Amino acid sequence: MSENKILFSTGNLDGLAEDIGKMTDTEGSKLKLHPDNADSGLAKLVLTLVELIRKLVEKQAMRRVDGGSLTDEEVERLGETLMKLEMKMEELKKHFNLTDRDLNLNLGPLGDLM
Amino acid sequence: MGKMIYSIIKASEEPTQITEVLSGLRGISGANLEFVQCADIIAVTCSAERKEVVADRSNTLDYAGVIDELSKTCTLLPVRFGSVMESEDDILKMLERNYQGIQNNLDKVEGKVEFGLKVFCDTEKLKSRPEIFGEENIKIFDKPPGRQNNSVYLDYVNKKLIEYRIEEALLLFVNSVIKEITDCCISVGANGKFRKMVNQNNIIDALFLVERSKTNGLIGVVKELQVKYPDLDFILTGPWPPYNFVDITIS
Repeated sequence: MSENKILFSTGNLDGLAEDIGKMTDTEGSKLKLHPDNADSGLAKLVLTLVELIRKLVEKQAMRRVDGGSLTDEEVERLGETLMKLEMKMEELKKHFNLTDRDLNLNLGPLGDLM
Repeated sequence: MGKMIYSIIKASEEPTQITEVLSGLRGISGANLEFVQCADIIAVTCSAERKEVVADRSNTLDYAGVIDELSKTCTLLPVRFGSVMESEDDILKMLERNYQGIQNNLDKVEGKVEFGLKVFCDTEKLKSRPEIFGEENIKIFDKPPGRQNNSVYLDYVNKKLIEYRIEEALLLFVNSVIKEITDCCISVGANGKFRKMVNQNNIIDALFLVERSKTNGLIGVVKELQVKYPDLDFILTGPWPPYNFVDITIS
């Protein structure tokens, strides 16, 4: 395994290095639960799932808006709901000291969750 | 003491020659390599206790090193790290039970090696340059029609809608690059598997099974693709053992 396995590159290996770093550093995507941080560990897991679902809902909503099947009133209500959901998520992230990166779990060979 | 399996190889050589090849290699933690033969297929093994087979950096590198060295001279099927059976007898029975499936897979990968192609780009930079996506998609940056007197909520929807259209256009662009890669690889007979949008920067992760003799042809194809897409970074790695082209469930 000592030979060079990179057969071609532009010389910019930053992306590859980042990928390998993510694969070998699994600390960030671990759920660290112990008596002192049970709430924040659980909050990270729950908020990750909530954020994933929120983004799926948002994407589906935009698909419908783009398809033109909603009335102006429905779009207005949708906008209000999505905006409030996003604001609530920001509040919760701030409360539990979490960033977008914390909620985007690295699933190893499957890539990032979001 | 159990037996850990590294790979299953085609026995095109005499047992004495296999012994010779294996004697020049060391398994995890310097273990001696052995083999179990069933007709014309061979399992390369070493003695190991299941609890000792820890997937740490050192062990996995040793393990991959054995498979990599063997793949230079043999047609082989890599076996998942940590596959430990109780005894040689169990391995022999496993080889007998799965003989046909193993043979089919060995035939599929004979004389071939795996290559990885990763395509990276700064997606944020790409999104800011609509011409990258092709003229037909430039309209994504238009304001959605019919909503001139926007409230804060409508503005929010418009912002999200534009983001959504850019994401969709990026996906179309990635699909077009994948099609281009596939078309270009026909000339080297590459059998490809693709994953797209692995993360924010890795937009394509491709694997190819190619005849070893066509390695230079594949490098040439990737060089041409790099010229065609200067905003993307192509990285070709290999040759690897056919880790991702073995399709068998051992019973």
